Amino acid sequence: MAYADLREFLATLDRDGQLLRYSDPVNPEPDLAAAARATANLTDRGPALLFDDINGYEPGKGRVALNTVGSWPNHALMLGLDKNTTVKDQFFEFAGRWDAFPGPIERRDDAPWQEVTLTEGIDLFQLLPLFRLNSYDVGCYIDKAAVISRDPDDPDNFGKQNVGIYRIQVKDKDRLGIQPLAAHDIGLHLQRAEERGENLPVAIALGNEPVITTVAGMPLAYDQSEYEMAAAIQGAPYRITKAPVTGFDVPWGSEVVIEGEIIAGEREIEGPFGEFTGHYSGARRQPVIKIHRVMHRRNPIFEHLYLGMPWTEMDYTLALNTSVLLYRQLKAEFPEVAAVNAMYTQGLLGIISVKQRFGGFAKAVGMRAMTVPHGLAYCKVIILVDEDVDPFNLAQVMWALSVHYHPLHDTVTIPNLSVLALDPSSDPAGITHKVVLDATTPVAPEERGHYSQVVGNPEGTADWENIIKGLLK
Amino acid sequence: MNDTTVNDTICPRCDAENVRVLTTSPVPGRWTMYVCDTCIYSWRSTEPRSATDPLAYPAEFKIDPADIPSIPAIPTVPPRRR
Ligand SMILES: [Zn+2]
Repeated sequence: MAYADLREFLATLDRDGQLLRYSDPVNPEPDLAAAARATANLTDRGPALLFDDINGYEPGKGRVALNTVGSWPNHALMLGLDKNTTVKDQFFEFAGRWDAFPGPIERRDDAPWQEVTLTEGIDLFQLLPLFRLNSYDVGCYIDKAAVISRDPDDPDNFGKQNVGIYRIQVKDKDRLGIQPLAAHDIGLHLQRAEERGENLPVAIALGNEPVITTVAGMPLAYDQSEYEMAAAIQGAPYRITKAPVTGFDVPWGSEVVIEGEIIAGEREIEGPFGEFTGHYSGARRQPVIKIHRVMHRRNPIFEHLYLGMPWTEMDYTLALNTSVLLYRQLKAEFPEVAAVNAMYTQGLLGIISVKQRFGGFAKAVGMRAMTVPHGLAYCKVIILVDEDVDPFNLAQVMWALSVHYHPLHDTVTIPNLSVLALDPSSDPAGITHKVVLDATTPVAPEERGHYSQVVGNPEGTADWENIIKGLLK
Repeated sequence: MNDTTVNDTICPRCDAENVRVLTTSPVPGRWTMYVCDTCIYSWRSTEPRSATDPLAYPAEFKIDPADIPSIPAIPTVPPRRR
């Protein structure tokens, strides 16, 4: 199942009762962000929101889509699954499709975003209903666009072409601020461009089908193509088109494609911005993009993402790519790992279910999670549970913690490790202690506690689960 | 939903008198957006006072223009190759 573009995905959500159209007039602030926040507060099965009468824009012309992947049913529909698919089943489906990497690419010349081209008098605020997300954000941001760049030392390398999502402050009609951290692929591209004394060309694609957005948030290896990963995850060739000025490959189906360049050597104040930690990031001096060309469909839909205190849409879009990445890395060394749920604040807290080979084994797996690449910035709290505990079922995880975890024997604290600087508890920023909480059942030679008389399921429970599931449909 | 904001001269965040009109609503007269060229804060005339009024802007989010040049650059600019 593959969606050609955002509009096709929204139509599917609509058919499945997962799209709410709101056609009464609203103000850009605070209505749009508040509506997205409210939807996330109310339910984890909520709809996408589509607004088409925004104060200051002609009704029907200025349109905003929010929360498109902001629930488990919408996430399942992104993967082409039944909307009632459990999180655990979505996890294993995602992990299985990852194995199909690299998937095929389909190149096309005729993209819908070629309809209108602007090279003079560019004003993003006229084209898109940009709005402030959180009260003390420094301005309007774009935070769900695919940013495409290439390695200036190897510009023809398709694999090294990067598709990533970065927070982008709209600083002026045709001027943007961007946060390309040194550890990100685009940060490496910028470093090489600045070493050469050159600007770094970028293409920014807004309003995409959901798979490329999900993949753009995956920490892939430097020379792995996000488009080939999107093809693997959607199970069909990924359709791309060359942007005319940069020559970079952008999604065929985008609503808007912006081309411009990061100005070499320039840093300008950016932020604060309400972040996924539930706290504002401070202000920093960051790179600046000058826009040269905008191409778009007529009456483009501005797809935006609300983020702030979890849970928000961002937590859904990053949940499984973070969890599956850790799962694959741990499983390669420890096949006993059954599943990984690292969807809490992008994996600052994670839960690993594992079959213990011998006493102390689970603790070793927990510490290993902290030393895989993603763990260097995350994995501050790791909870281990037995292989028959579902890490996606927090009731089961809390049960394991409450009866298997012994504070004296099952706590491993490791001092002064690295963590992302945005973690507001880190002190100094970027340094923290980390902890393993082992809630697995002790096994030999570690024999302690009283675990021999477990209350299992009554005989036939599994059959009855299917009977009742069928009756509830 | 008319444009009634009075403050279009002083930045609510850094108090600099370095404000200009960023853009106006596509449907004329609905709102005006302003930007401060000192701290790049921007606001819309229809926003609550806490976003538009220097006196109502919360102290913990205020910034002193004198501090801006010493804010860390991320990422730092690398030296040119020879
Ligand atoms: Zn200012």
